[in-house]
Amino acid sequence: MRYMAGSNEVNLNESRSVVPLNTWVLISNFKLAYNLLRRADGTFNRKLAEFLDRKVPSNIIPVDGVFSFDHVDRNTGLFNRVYQPAPEHESQWGIIELERPLSTTRIVPVIIFFHGGSFSHSSANSAIYDTFCRRLVNICKAVVVSVNYRRSPEHRYPCAYDDGWAALEWVKSRPWLQSGKDSKVHVYLAGDSSGGNIVHHVAAKAAESDIEVLGNILLHPLFGGQKRTESEKKLDGKYFVRLQDRDWYWRAFLPEGEDRDHPACNPFGPRGKSLVGLKFPKSLVCVAGLDLVQDWQLAYVEGLKNSGHEVKLLYLKEATIGFYFLPNNDHFYCLMEEINHFVNSNC
Amino acid sequence: MGSYEQPSAGGGASSNGSSSSSGTRPAEMDGLLAGAGYKVKAAELHQVARRIERLENVMVNSAADISHLASDTVHYDPADIGSWVDTLLTELNQTVSLPCDLLELPDLPTCPLLDETTTLDNRWVVGQNDQSHHSLTPQQQQFQQLTVVTSMEENSGIRLVHMLMTCADSLQRGELALAGSLIEDMQGLLAHVNTSCGIGKVAGYFIDALSRRIFAAGTIGTGSSSSYCTGSPSEDEVLYHHYYEACPYLKFAHFTANQAILEAFNGHDCVHVIDFNLMHGLQWPALIQALALRPGGPPLLRLTGIGPPSPDGRDTLREIGLKLAELARSVNVRFAFRGVAASRLEDVKPWMLQVSPKEAVAVNSIMQLHRLLGSDPTREPAIQSVLTWIRSLNPKIMTVVEQEANHNQPRFLDRFTEALYYYSTMFDSLEACSLQPDKALAEIYIQKEICNVVCCEGSARLERHEPLAKWRDRLTEAGFRALHLGSNAFKQASMLLTLFSVEGYCVEENEGCLTLGWHSRPLIAASAWQAAPEYEVA
Repeated sequence: MRYMAGSNEVNLNESRSVVPLNTWVLISNFKLAYNLLRRADGTFNRKLAEFLDRKVPSNIIPVDGVFSFDHVDRNTGLFNRVYQPAPEHESQWGIIELERPLSTTRIVPVIIFFHGGSFSHSSANSAIYDTFCRRLVNICKAVVVSVNYRRSPEHRYPCAYDDGWAALEWVKSRPWLQSGKDSKVHVYLAGDSSGGNIVHHVAAKAAESDIEVLGNILLHPLFGGQKRTESEKKLDGKYFVRLQDRDWYWRAFLPEGEDRDHPACNPFGPRGKSLVGLKFPKSLVCVAGLDLVQDWQLAYVEGLKNSGHEVKLLYLKEATIGFYFLPNNDHFYCLMEEINHFVNSNC
Repeated sequence: MGSYEQPSAGGGASSNGSSSSSGTRPAEMDGLLAGAGYKVKAAELHQVARRIERLENVMVNSAADISHLASDTVHYDPADIGSWVDTLLTELNQTVSLPCDLLELPDLPTCPLLDETTTLDNRWVVGQNDQSHHSLTPQQQQFQQLTVVTSMEENSGIRLVHMLMTCADSLQRGELALAGSLIEDMQGLLAHVNTSCGIGKVAGYFIDALSRRIFAAGTIGTGSSSSYCTGSPSEDEVLYHHYYEACPYLKFAHFTANQAILEAFNGHDCVHVIDFNLMHGLQWPALIQALALRPGGPPLLRLTGIGPPSPDGRDTLREIGLKLAELARSVNVRFAFRGVAASRLEDVKPWMLQVSPKEAVAVNSIMQLHRLLGSDPTREPAIQSVLTWIRSLNPKIMTVVEQEANHNQPRFLDRFTEALYYYSTMFDSLEACSLQPDKALAEIYIQKEICNVVCCEGSARLERHEPLAKWRDRLTEAGFRALHLGSNAFKQASMLLTLFSVEGYCVEENEGCLTLGWHSRPLIAASAWQAAPEYEVA
C-alpha cells in the first residue's frame, strides 16, 4: 500500500512503520473485526463478537511456570481467573491450595487485573489477556486475578465498576491470597484501556470505604471528555483508532443521554468528585505516545498530582495502543520492568 | 524495533519475534500470534497484512453498506486471519490478487505462489478445506491440560479433593491398604460436607468408584468389576433420555450435527444417514422436519441406525425406525429405515450398511468413537479399522461429537484428576436444572461414566475420552479433513441455549469446531469431517 498524498484513503502505512509486522496484523485484525461488531444504532453484535474472540481455557497444570483456574460466583455467573506461580514440586501440581496463605514470610503481590476492550470487547479468558496475565505472573512473581466484568452496551455504567468492586471484596477476603508477616492480602489494581478506567473508579471507592489498595496500574486507560483535545484531533485515525470509534464506546457505556463529561469518563472534569484528602493509592500510569487519548490520560495524571496523590507517569513516545500484547518491542519490556518495580518495591 | 526471542508464556508455541529476520522455516506459525490465539504462517505475514489493508480500504472507503458482513455473511475459523479476511473480501466482491511486487517481500522465498494457490483454491460457502495444519498449541499435546472451574469455598470440600487425589495416587502405586483407609476417612468427611450439591456430591461418586476399584483389585480388566458400571441397554436408554432432558449437551450435539448434515445434503436427492448410536432416535425428528421444509423439496432419506441387540426378543431398533417413518410420512418425506444390531461398533461391517454409490452419506457419531480406543495388542486398533471403512464409504460428511476431556491418559492418577475436575464442572451445570426425575437420573447416567473411567481397565474401560486436539490429529491422519462449522451454527447453538433458560452454558468457536461448556470450561466438542482427496493423505 503506497502512501497517497491528498487522497481519502486512510494512511495505512504510518501504523505499519511503527510496530512489528505481527503486532500490526494482530491489532489491525481486531480493528476490522470490531468495525463489524459496532452497529450505527448503538447496538452490538455480541454473538459474532463471541464467535470471533479467541478464548483459552484455564490450566491447573503449570505451563511455563504459571497455572490458572477459574472461580465462578454462583450468584452472578461471573468468573475470576486466578493465575499463580507454579508450585515448587511437581507432586503439588493439579491441586488448588485454598487453605494456606501464599506465604507467611514474604509478601506476594496480588494484582487484580481488568482487561481492556473499551468496555465492550474481550473477556478474562480471551487469549491475548490470558497470555498477558501469565507474563505478569512470571515477571512480577505475583498472583494475578483477572475479572470477567459485565460489558456494554448490554450492561452500562456502573456495572463494570460494581463487578470490579465485588472482585476487590472477594480477593481481600480470601485467606489463601494472604501473604507476609502481617497476614493480609497485598492488593494492586491493574488494567488496560477500559480496564484502566475501572481501576480508577474501584480505587476511588476503596479509598472512600477505607479498604486498602497498595497501588494502581493504568495502561493507556480510557478517559475522555466533551471537548476535543489536540491529541485526539492530531492522531484521529492514524494509529488503529478513530475518534468516532471512541465516541461510540462511550455512548455504549455511559447512561443513555449522558455526555462525555460524565465523571465515569472524565473523573477530573467539571463533574468530577474531588479526591483531595482521601487515602488514594499510588499510581503508575503508562501512556502510549501514539494513542489519540493521551491528552486525557496526561490530564488524569495532572489531576492526581493536584489532588495530592503519588503518581508516576511512564510516557512511551513511540508506542501505539496494544504494544504490550506481544513481547516483541522495547516498550513491552520497559513497561514490565516498571510494573515489577511498582508492585515489589515494598519487599 | 528489535527482534526478540523469548519463550512466550501460556499455551503458545515457541516464540518467534518479528517475522522477517528470525530465520524460521516458512511453514512455521508465528509463535507470538499463536499465543494470542491466531494462526498465521510467519512467511505469510506480509501477504496477510496486504489483504488486511485492502479489506480496510474497501470497508472504510466504500460507500456501500457493509453491515451485511456482520449479519449475513457466514464466518469460519477466525483463528486463520488470512482466510477470514479473504472471506470478507470475497463478500465485498474484491478479487484477491496474488502478490506481483516481490520487491516488497525481500525475505520470502522466491516462489510464494505455491503457498498462495493452495490456500486460495479450495473455498466454497458450505465449508472450507483444512490443510493438515500444525496444532495451534503443540504444548497441549505434550503437557497435560486441566481446566478447572470451581465455586469451591468450603474447606472440607477442598480437603476432600486433596484426599481423593492422595487416594488415587496410592492406588496407582499399589498401596491398597493406605488407599482403603483413605476411603474410610473420606467417607467420614463426607458426613460433614453438603452432599446435595457441588464438590460434596461429585466427591461421593468418586469415593464410591475408588472403593469399587480398590476392593475389586485382582479382577480389574476381567470385566467383573465393570458390572456395576455398565447397565443393560434398556437401562442405559432410559438414563440417556433423562440426561437429554436435564442438560443441553446432547441437544447441542444433535442440533449442531443436524445443521452440518443439512448443509452437506444441499442439492442431493438421495441421502443416507448412518447413526452410530440410535438410542431413541432423538436426533432425527428435527432433521426430518428440516429436510421436509427444504427449498426445492425433501430428498429421499435413508436412515441406518446402529444399536445393541435387544435381549428380550423385541426389536427396539425397528420400533424406533417405525416411529420415525411415521413422522416422515406425516411431513411427506420419503423415508426408509434399517436397523443394524451390534453390541460393539467394531463389529459393524460396511456391507451391513448397504450404501449405494448414488447417495450422499452422512456418518453421525455422538460420543461413540472414544469407545474404540481401547487397544488389544493382538489386533489392529478398532478405531483404525472403523475409521478406514468410514473413509471407504466416502461420506459427504461425518459429524463427530465427543467429550472434551483427557480421560484416556496412560497414568491412572492423571485420568482420575482430569475426571474429577471434568465431572465436578458437569455436575455443577446440572445443579441449575430443576426438572425431576430428569436431574436425578441424569446424575446416575453421569455416575456410570465416572465409574467406567475410574474403575475399569482394558476392554471394559469404554469411556476413553480424548480432547479435540487429539481427535483432530487422529482424524487427519486417518485421511479426513475438517469441514468448518461457522458463525451461523454458532449463532443457532447460542440461541438453543437461551431456550434452555439456564445461565452459565457457553458456546465457543475452536478453529472450525464448536464447543459447549459450563462457564469457561468446554465440556463437549462438535466437529464435521469429510474424506480428504487421495493425494492429500500422508
